[in-house]
Amino acid sequence: MIFPADDQLLEQPRPTPLYAACASFSEANVWTSVNGFAAARIFSSIKAEYDAARNGAAIADFGPLSRYAVRGPDAAVFLSRVASVPAGTLTSSESARGLMLDDDGHVLDLVEISRLSDDLFLMTTSSSQARRLQLAARGLDAVVENISRSVAAIAVLGPGAYEALAAAGLKTSGENSASSTVLRGVETAARPLQFGAVAGAELIFPADEALTVWERLLRRGKVTPIGLDAMEILRIESGAPRPGADFLVGPNTDQHKRSSPVAIGLPHLAPLDSGWFNGRRALRYGARKSETVLVVIAVDADVCQAGAAVRSGNKDIGRITSWAWSPSLKRAIAFASVPAGAAGKVDGWTVQAGPDGQAAASLMKTAEGALAAAFLADQHSSTESASIVR
Amino acid sequence: MTAEGAAVAGAPSRIEGGVDAIVVGASADGLVAAAYLARAGLKTVLFENAADIGLPVRRRAYGGDKHGVDAEHLVFTLDPQVIDDLELYRHGVSFAARRLDTVYFFDDHEALHVSGDVRNAANDIDDDDEAAAFTTFLEDVFEASSFLRPLFSGAAGRDFKKAFNTASPALARRLNWMMTASVDDVMASYLSEGRLRTAMTAETVFRTSSAPHEAMSFAGLLAKWSGEVAGLQAACGVPEGGVTVVIDALRRAAQAANVDIRASSAVRQILIEKDRAAGVSMEGGGQVRAPIVVAAGDARQVFLSLVGPGALDVAFQQDVAAMTPKTATAQLHLALRGSPRDEETRANMARRLVFAPPLEALRASFSNARQGEVSDGLIIEAIFPQVFDQEAVNSKMQILSVMAHPLPFDENPEKDRQEEIRTAILSGLEKFAPSISKRIEADQLVLASDAPAVGDGRASAFAARPGVVRQLALASLCASGGRIGGLYFCGPESQIGAGLNGAAGRNAARAALQKFTRAGGAP
Repeated sequence: MIFPADDQLLEQPRPTPLYAACASFSEANVWTSVNGFAAARIFSSIKAEYDAARNGAAIADFGPLSRYAVRGPDAAVFLSRVASVPAGTLTSSESARGLMLDDDGHVLDLVEISRLSDDLFLMTTSSSQARRLQLAARGLDAVVENISRSVAAIAVLGPGAYEALAAAGLKTSGENSASSTVLRGVETAARPLQFGAVAGAELIFPADEALTVWERLLRRGKVTPIGLDAMEILRIESGAPRPGADFLVGPNTDQHKRSSPVAIGLPHLAPLDSGWFNGRRALRYGARKSETVLVVIAVDADVCQAGAAVRSGNKDIGRITSWAWSPSLKRAIAFASVPAGAAGKVDGWTVQAGPDGQAAASLMKTAEGALAAAFLADQHSSTESASIVR
Repeated sequence: MTAEGAAVAGAPSRIEGGVDAIVVGASADGLVAAAYLARAGLKTVLFENAADIGLPVRRRAYGGDKHGVDAEHLVFTLDPQVIDDLELYRHGVSFAARRLDTVYFFDDHEALHVSGDVRNAANDIDDDDEAAAFTTFLEDVFEASSFLRPLFSGAAGRDFKKAFNTASPALARRLNWMMTASVDDVMASYLSEGRLRTAMTAETVFRTSSAPHEAMSFAGLLAKWSGEVAGLQAACGVPEGGVTVVIDALRRAAQAANVDIRASSAVRQILIEKDRAAGVSMEGGGQVRAPIVVAAGDARQVFLSLVGPGALDVAFQQDVAAMTPKTATAQLHLALRGSPRDEETRANMARRLVFAPPLEALRASFSNARQGEVSDGLIIEAIFPQVFDQEAVNSKMQILSVMAHPLPFDENPEKDRQEEIRTAILSGLEKFAPSISKRIEADQLVLASDAPAVGDGRASAFAARPGVVRQLALASLCASGGRIGGLYFCGPESQIGAGLNGAAGRNAARAALQKFTRAGGAP
């Protein structure tokens, strides 16, 4: 799950259950706040943290995300309604990700759902959606419990993640399935995690156990704590857009500034040919065509800036929405919002990068981008026959 | 019930196919929609909970052999296109009175007689200045209402902005103003303070939920006067035999078009499959499948119960759930002893009688009604249906049908509340018909919760209509059937203004037919 944009104006963020542990490990002591919680940006060095996630195992405090336990006979119906995840088709221990859309088909949030048992689901969203979920549950036999405050969450990222978990003696039921037990009256779950291109696992457990679990992992699992800045590189490399930074979300965002799944490059998370979900009808019957799309570009420069103009020849065609320096590519990589028509032809794009002026930019292939492209190609061929009926 | 219908009821597990369109609810709009669909050649089945089609507006007996007419006692805005297309005159609609004069009564015991042909109403005003002002008012409002008619009925879509661009600049300005202004504002700029203004104010806000000082309340009159009765705009008529006859004619028109009408058939659920309406399941078991489902119940019943929240967009569900009205109209039927002695009273009995309370009292009534309190500054509309009914002409009793507004809306009114409302209405009546209470032989109160729009629907035909602008928003929202493919809605929320109309049913059928033929399902 991708973190939403930092709340830059918040002065006193709340501590997550893992705050004390993170603080004692943070040599750099660079913090920010996400969803009102304190989140470490850097522990020791961005490069070392990035390498750990790429080659070994890294752990991150996932406490700032919002989590909900959904129970009841209509739990699957409820989840299939609020998110573009066919929750009813998940078998126990399966997980899926999707989008939360408003009635007009605009993206409100990213969602991950794990089915822990027949009538118990765990739902993670990048920002708090409590109010919306309560509204959506009206009339359905489903109980939504906001467990964000009562649980702690640790993400273990990288190829060595499961080895580290096993070494720490933390039971997980496998690399592809979620499992749950009850610890001190609170549901505790382990679920597989895909942070961008990096696979791993997420542990969710009672807040009181936070420090014990963290310590165990660090001592026995030989893992490196990873901060938001290193995770930002992983995110952009894999092509996962960040809510609030790369696209606007939230109840105060104007209708016309919200984005469709296509515009944020995630059309494959809201497929129109499977079941119904909130906003699907708008997407299907006459949602406006998206004017801009997000693409990931590699910039021939060491620095870049959010908001910098993307130019094609002498013309400004878009802007950078977020960027990071990629240690593997040895250059800046960035999300850019550009006109939908221009996304295919990147010839001669330049980006205003630092005092040196214009730097050449090239389109970057990402894991998410490949999924979207495959999905759109497939959907194009299937809607051609479907449009005759509708 | 047809033989086929009986077979279905007897075989709970049966799945019936071969149906093109299903209409749920035999309200006026449901019957209209069914008739249009069947006339286009679609095999159409109409389901109604009640045993008797058109029950909500049936004449029903009370206090022995005395009869009253439930729900509407007058017709203001019966859609002329529906009358033509469905040949309602051939199916038995005729008007006993088609331009009923109105007598307005006031707190000071004065009365104002206004011609049934409202265009000429200024002729009845003695004061020349006042008559001139009233003429200007009528001309302006009539021009605006005529322009707005296709928009209100939905016949030409509801894009007001686009439509206003086709009007002359002066008219466009006036339309913009009249649609958004309060009754008080508009009245003040045309009419001087006095009885005429009080009367027109009462006329505007009757059966709406907007108090006269609130923004956008004037649009209520535009909606009302955009209707016509037997070719006369802003008239009010009494169908021969009461409003029931119109429902009966609609039923006959539907039957003539080969609609398979199945009474006593309660629909349990509207089936949504692959995000499209797929038919209905019946209360007694079994399914009837069809690619088109037209629902004529009220929005809460249709969307929250029959479709179910599991298939609704979240914000849409919230909008529908928020449609609970706060104010409502009540109806009181009175059987009165004795017969009128003087000529004037006899003449008045063939008129529409309206008590227009003083503006201050009216404002207070609206604000009290919203807070759940009953006040006595009520607008009262009364007619003597018997006068227009040939069958009842010799009766020694007189029936008086009274509608009073604004009153609080209760879903389950208690005995005390009913008595309180009855007392308030009687005290309103006494203001212009002194000692009428002493002549009451029997009476019956019908509240919004007793007069469901269709079958056991919750909200009713008597619930106050929200402001016109809100009504328009709700109408387009509901008419799209929550954007579920194949589902069309023509319940009371899809109609602008109160009363019997039929345009909503026509619009729903038209939308369904367009989609049906486009999808290649042409019969």
